[in-house]
Amino acid sequence: MTASPPWGSLPAEVSIYTAAELRLQWLEALQAPAGQNDAVELDGSAVEQFDAAGAQCLLALAHALVARGQRLQLTRASDALARACRSLGLEDFIASTANEA
Amino acid sequence: MRDQDQDFIAAALPTFISEAEEQVERLEQLLLELEAAPGDRELLDTLFRCAHTVKGSAGIFGLDALVGFTHHVETLLDQVREGRRALDGGLSTLLLQCNDQIRRLVAAASSTRPDDPDGAAERSRLQERLASACGSAAAAPARAALALPVSLTPAGERLWHVWVRFGTDTLRNGMDPLGLLNYLQTLGRLEHIVCDRAAVPELDALDAESCHLAFEFGLRTAVGREEIESAFSFVREDCELHLIEPDAGPEQFVALIQSLPQHPRLGDILVAAGAISQAQLHAALAEQDRSRAAGVPTAPLGEILKERAGVPAAVVDAALQKQARHGDGSDDQRVIRVQADRLDAVINLLGELVIAGAGASELARQARQSRLVQANDQISGLVEEIRNATLQLRMVPIGETFTRFRRVVRDTAAELGKAVQLEIVGGETELDKAMVERIADPLMHLVRNALDHGLETAEQRRAAGKRPEGRLVLSACHDGGSILIRIDDDGRGIDRERVLQRAWDKGLVEPGVVPAEADILGLIFEPGFSTAEKVTNLSGRGVGMDVVRRNIEALRGSVAITSEAGRGTRIEIRLPLTLAIIDGFLVGVGDSRFIFPLDAVVEVIEGRSAEAAMQPDGSGVLALRGEALPVLSLRHLYELDDGAAPERASVYGVLVDALLGQHQTVIKPLGRMLRMLRGMSGSSILGNGEVALIFDVEALRRFAEQPAQSVPARALAAR
Repeated sequence: MTASPPWGSLPAEVSIYTAAELRLQWLEALQAPAGQNDAVELDGSAVEQFDAAGAQCLLALAHALVARGQRLQLTRASDALARACRSLGLEDFIASTANEA
Repeated sequence: MRDQDQDFIAAALPTFISEAEEQVERLEQLLLELEAAPGDRELLDTLFRCAHTVKGSAGIFGLDALVGFTHHVETLLDQVREGRRALDGGLSTLLLQCNDQIRRLVAAASSTRPDDPDGAAERSRLQERLASACGSAAAAPARAALALPVSLTPAGERLWHVWVRFGTDTLRNGMDPLGLLNYLQTLGRLEHIVCDRAAVPELDALDAESCHLAFEFGLRTAVGREEIESAFSFVREDCELHLIEPDAGPEQFVALIQSLPQHPRLGDILVAAGAISQAQLHAALAEQDRSRAAGVPTAPLGEILKERAGVPAAVVDAALQKQARHGDGSDDQRVIRVQADRLDAVINLLGELVIAGAGASELARQARQSRLVQANDQISGLVEEIRNATLQLRMVPIGETFTRFRRVVRDTAAELGKAVQLEIVGGETELDKAMVERIADPLMHLVRNALDHGLETAEQRRAAGKRPEGRLVLSACHDGGSILIRIDDDGRGIDRERVLQRAWDKGLVEPGVVPAEADILGLIFEPGFSTAEKVTNLSGRGVGMDVVRRNIEALRGSVAITSEAGRGTRIEIRLPLTLAIIDGFLVGVGDSRFIFPLDAVVEVIEGRSAEAAMQPDGSGVLALRGEALPVLSLRHLYELDDGAAPERASVYGVLVDALLGQHQTVIKPLGRMLRMLRGMSGSSILGNGEVALIFDVEALRRFAEQPAQSVPARALAAR
């Protein structure tokens, strides 16, 4: 599932059921050097199921990235993902695909 | 219980204990303050919160006895807070006794030893009294009610402000906060929702199934409070929910901000509280960035918001305070705890740095390289700042010690059947922590003495034409580089005749010999002296005053007593601010170097040594602006080849040969050999390795005032 290393795309389900596993994957990915980019991009086009546990995991990842000088950006966010992020006050995770502030 | 829970508890218990101890202290102070200001709403609320906090955190650690007992106290406090029960003297005493038991239980939690059966018996007795004080409502559990008015039936859409923190187990219980927020959107519109991102731990510390989420948002809806609350009913048990009424005044936001857990960012707090919108915040932040980029000093965010967004000042201030408080922990006067020895290590190093720095400056001056001198001056300036800041770390207000005496005074006075009012003045005066700790015992003794011997009973006072209530004043202030602590009472004063008689009887003074008036009272501090008519269990065992003086002198302090028969007694304790470093004023007499504490130097007068009328013993008088200034020749006094410097009964003069300027001085104790040297309090090593002696200005003053007996001084040739 881990596509273009070390990061890649979010699975269809980012929820309480997958959060623990995602956390481990991301922790592993964080072992790799930070690289030049100031943003880490995750493709969110596949996301169908998304809940607060998933959001929390993303927040924790964002903290870890900030600690090494990077931002978290969710690209090509699916409707479900974009809507959830808006509801949770996390719209800044969604890469600038014309979302109003 | 899982192993990791056990580990967590073992690791966190000391913190709990020390915080619980603080709460217990605070409870006691609040109870005592409430006696002076009965019915003070704020104090009552704080009181309740303290008890609640103790109970709450004790619950986390499974300290059932503590939880159970504190619960009963809390129940009563709740009734008091709601005005259903007046906090009178009897109830206050009961609560104080309960607090003592809470203290015991906290202490018991820190040791493995099981609680004593006496304590348990005492507690069950107190519990019965608490229950009867509460009336039949005793069994009802205490609830922290939100003091917000219930909304009226809504007409049209109104904007509510919601703050919610979901409980840790929310996710495990199958609840999804996102679903809940989505559900709220069916009730109305969610506006500028803010997630408390800082509450979510970093990825490696995250337990993906624990919930750390908290949100704040505006909810524009036509439904009422009940319906909004019911949306949370599935998670209500373990979530924390604050709902603020539409049209709420700034004071409600202030209350909300204050009740929130740690919230580091001002902007978020204000947005969260709904006082500004996200857009307004962005605009204000952008303005801050612009001016920063333009090199203009940036206005604090709080100011910009007040100006731009028209946020009421009270709300911004509350948020700013919250932000400030975040820096030093969570609650009111919480502090970072540092082990004293680590701090001491830093201070010792700093002492060395000061010496090394002074040495380098000296060399630079001798080398006459102006740029080197300048660079050194800059370093010295910085070192001095670090020194001040570091010493500041050790400084604590003496008020904490003073307030501890409230309880002592209250209980002791009650035991003695006296009415006493304790006043505390200058509690904010700061001094070295080590000093505070070591002065507490002597102070306690003096306070007890004043209560026992100084103040009369109400009848005696009435007979003497005084107010029946005795007055005891504890005060502290800074005074010329030292701290002055006074204990004043308006009691019977000290009977000089009796003191003298006693001193004769005890052989402290040759019978028939009458010492100088001023010295008579000082006899009280002699070992083995006690004038108590009867020995009480408080004082008057004949140990004490001499020990008090010894302890104070060990801190390089002094104690003096003045008294007027029938009017009262004043005890003055003078202490140095710190034991570590002073700013010294270096002077030279012949080849010897001496240091005066800089704070004690009032004025430097040049070239008058010829005019001074000197006695052979080294003292003399100098005319200064038409007044006689007693002066002291150090050369004569210490039999130096040369000799003297300035102060009297506030000022006296000292004659010296050379003024060598300001000098940072690390105090080293005098060696044993030199301890008997009068007028000296310590020594210091100069940058070039030379030894300078530090004057004890108070002691030297005595020489100036009452011309000296000869001083054993030859030893001073110490170099």
